[in-house]
Amino acid sequence: MSGAVTASRVFPAVSGRAAAMLLVLLAAGCASLGKPAWELPPPPAQDAPVVQPGALQRAELDNGMEVVVLEDRRLPRIALGVAVRRGGGLVPPERAGLAAFTAELMKRGAGERDALALSQATDELGASLSVGGDWDSTTVTVSGLSRDRDRLLEILADVVLRPRFEAGEAGKARDQMLASLERAKDDPATLARWNLARALYEGHPYGAPSSGTAASVARLDASQARAFHRTIFVPNDAIFFAVGDLDMKSLLPAVGEAFGAWERGEVAPPGPAPPERVPEARRIVIVDRPDLAQARIALAHEGLSRTDPDRIPAALMNTVLGGGGFSSRLMETLRTEGGLTYSVGSGFGLRRYAGPFYVVTFTRVPEVRRVLDLILVDLEKMREEPPTAQELRDAKALLVGHFGLGLETSTAVVSSEVDLAVYGLPEDSLDTYRGRVRAVETADTARMARELLHPERAVIVLVGPADALLAQVEDLGPVEIIQP
Amino acid sequence: MRAPGRGALLLGAALLLLPVSARADAVAGEPVVVSEAGFRDPAERMVKTRLSNGLVVLTLEDHTTPVVSFQMWVKVGSRDESRYTGLAHLFEHMMFRGSVNIPPERHAQLVNSRGGRTNAYTSRDFTVYFEDVTSETLPLVIELEAERLANLDISEENLKSEREVVLEERRMRTEDQPMGRAMETLMALTFQAHPYRWPPIGWRSDVERATVAASREFFDSYYVPNNIVIAIAGDFDSEEALDRIRRTFGKLDPVEVPRNPTEEPEQDGERRATVHFDLRGPVLVAAWHAPKTGHEDGEALDVLSTILSTGRSSRLYRKLVYEQQSALAAQGGYWELNDAGVFYAVAQVRPGVRVEDVEGLFMAEIERVKESGVSEEELDKAKRQLEVMLVNSLATNHSLAARMGREVATFDRVRPLDERLAAIRAVTRADVQRVARTYLKDEKRSVVHVVPPPAPEPERPGDET
Repeated sequence: MSGAVTASRVFPAVSGRAAAMLLVLLAAGCASLGKPAWELPPPPAQDAPVVQPGALQRAELDNGMEVVVLEDRRLPRIALGVAVRRGGGLVPPERAGLAAFTAELMKRGAGERDALALSQATDELGASLSVGGDWDSTTVTVSGLSRDRDRLLEILADVVLRPRFEAGEAGKARDQMLASLERAKDDPATLARWNLARALYEGHPYGAPSSGTAASVARLDASQARAFHRTIFVPNDAIFFAVGDLDMKSLLPAVGEAFGAWERGEVAPPGPAPPERVPEARRIVIVDRPDLAQARIALAHEGLSRTDPDRIPAALMNTVLGGGGFSSRLMETLRTEGGLTYSVGSGFGLRRYAGPFYVVTFTRVPEVRRVLDLILVDLEKMREEPPTAQELRDAKALLVGHFGLGLETSTAVVSSEVDLAVYGLPEDSLDTYRGRVRAVETADTARMARELLHPERAVIVLVGPADALLAQVEDLGPVEIIQP
Repeated sequence: MRAPGRGALLLGAALLLLPVSARADAVAGEPVVVSEAGFRDPAERMVKTRLSNGLVVLTLEDHTTPVVSFQMWVKVGSRDESRYTGLAHLFEHMMFRGSVNIPPERHAQLVNSRGGRTNAYTSRDFTVYFEDVTSETLPLVIELEAERLANLDISEENLKSEREVVLEERRMRTEDQPMGRAMETLMALTFQAHPYRWPPIGWRSDVERATVAASREFFDSYYVPNNIVIAIAGDFDSEEALDRIRRTFGKLDPVEVPRNPTEEPEQDGERRATVHFDLRGPVLVAAWHAPKTGHEDGEALDVLSTILSTGRSSRLYRKLVYEQQSALAAQGGYWELNDAGVFYAVAQVRPGVRVEDVEGLFMAEIERVKESGVSEEELDKAKRQLEVMLVNSLATNHSLAARMGREVATFDRVRPLDERLAAIRAVTRADVQRVARTYLKDEKRSVVHVVPPPAPEPERPGDET
């Protein structure tokens, strides 16, 4: 592909600047013949188009269902799916797990097929069927060979429109969820995640595990799943998507046949918003696992929503802090210099409403306090000494580059398009993303650090032996010790 | 919890599983015409170049997406360790700790700051370093890889700090994880002589004691051009890349590579072990000896794995997870390594269910294949599923380069897609039953249970007197 053409597509107004950069580079190249590549300035980025012109097509059915189709003929495979803009965010804490339970039951029989017949029909095509969701959406996907398109579409329509919700299957699915919940307590990372959510958002949907709790799951039954399905699956809130060895022209009539008779419904209001400021003051939660030699560590407080206008400068600040792997300050402090952990990361849980900002890591039990202090110092330092020009430049290159790598497959492109549609973000967001990242300045990331980081009141969750941990942290704030 | 930049992640769980496939014919058993839809194995266009110092370079240009994957496959893994287990992996970490011209972790930072991704992994057979970048960054990648091969800095200080990092990795993956403990114990039970018996991350005491001198010796012995395959796939100019590789890697001298000579003797009786771990859901794992990679029974073993484990209509899911509800997950599969293979069984037991009961159900399914074989319908379904999975390795430049690197490092060639598909298609019901009977013998298996420790005996007054 041509660098010049792609650059002009993304930056129609700056071709002059791009040309100037090229001259600088040529000059540098001449002056530095024989120098190793790491001493040369980075070559100018060549922005390839995210989608080949004309490959992505949109349509809408009479019942309001949006249709997004991305043609990619390289391999004889396709994926077809339906996403709706409602998910676990609608489920009150006392019924936590309902969204996951509904999704599981949708895979256990639809249309004329019971659970075994449905899995048999999928498996014999070498295909796969998934039903999953998050706080803000629920998605059904089938994928397989393009020659099986019509059979895959039929399975998809059955699962979306005609799930059976049989009582016997509901009992089995509920028992399996309860057993999985009990088993999940063996996993320290899961315990940290659950307790972090509870500590921040108890009483709100975000405060309970999306897989539910033993008490909430025990109350779930087929009729609740059927009602939840009816609530969230309405065509005027749905996006049909297709990707791979297919095209809109021949697909659209088939989609109309499969989904055209689906009647419009009332779109359920989104769930309630969580408190804006969580927690009010620092708290420490210790989940007692006396058997562990390594403790899980998580810090969190409120963050940003998926549609917050500051999300890009915030992501850049976070890349420098802990989101950028070996290029981040926290990794440098804890792993490269300290030898204290294998991995540390920070990030924002972006949802319809602000999810958490978090830092997560792990270390041997005796070093927990040292690691906590180092994290708190790095957070404070980010406020006092925000990203430098060089750090910001590197973070931009990382975000822009990883954005491109992440969209190597058409499947990834379509899932991003659906994500944008779920949140009502502009359709050209992928095309404008790189330009928006490059437009951020150090003043913006400095403001993000000041406004978004609150180490002094972050909740701290530790998973490990309570005795050894309590002695290390009791002077930091009020401590709650709980059993898994 | 989810990282920022979530766009591409929304449907991750659903869509990352998107399989691709050859244009397989509906009637399993008939030839698949891969090229029917203008679809060919991209590896057909791969060019193999061998430098005079023995370095093999594989290049495959494909300009459809602006991404290029560079992978360095070093033919050294934990099987090559002698005094200190875990040295191959510890050493992989040391490769990021700087060289004469590059400070610690700067390698990764340089690649990140050009928008690329880099990492590495170590298995029993290989150590692999990779960079996924855009084409303008490939020259930097080649020079950085050549720099650490020529000028690696293994200092006492760096080793000390990295050892602690690796011990944290070991706690995370193995010591505090029931499944990690199960697999570590299973391999040590299955292999009593061959170096596959120890885990790639190494035994703790070895990692704690490995020395700078041993690391240097390991580097000098195995990180030599005649022991390395470089695979590059994607958007790049292969002439330019080869030229740069000749100018950098070409300077390295070949050295004869030592190998451990040990072979695993025949197993002559069932082996069992129990691991106590404070957990709610017990773990069952088992393994039988199976042929090494490339063996003619490989495809029949893959078909057997698929019939047992792939999809919700598979035998193990249906019986153990769905009908009996005694396991949360159950799988059996063929794991092919360079010197030997294993057929493994793994089940996550439901809390409250006895691991012995799950073992009984699992082994009954193995017996059922040995006694009655599999149906024609199951055979066809498994072949279709395998074909879909096989061609899945063509989806990204990273997976293409990985396939090229692994196959050439193992077989000195890339086995064409048509050849693999033909071999899968040739498997018969009798083959599946035969391999089950040949390899899955009771007296050839090793079994590990991970269960909670027994409750302490209540104190009985008077015992002390």
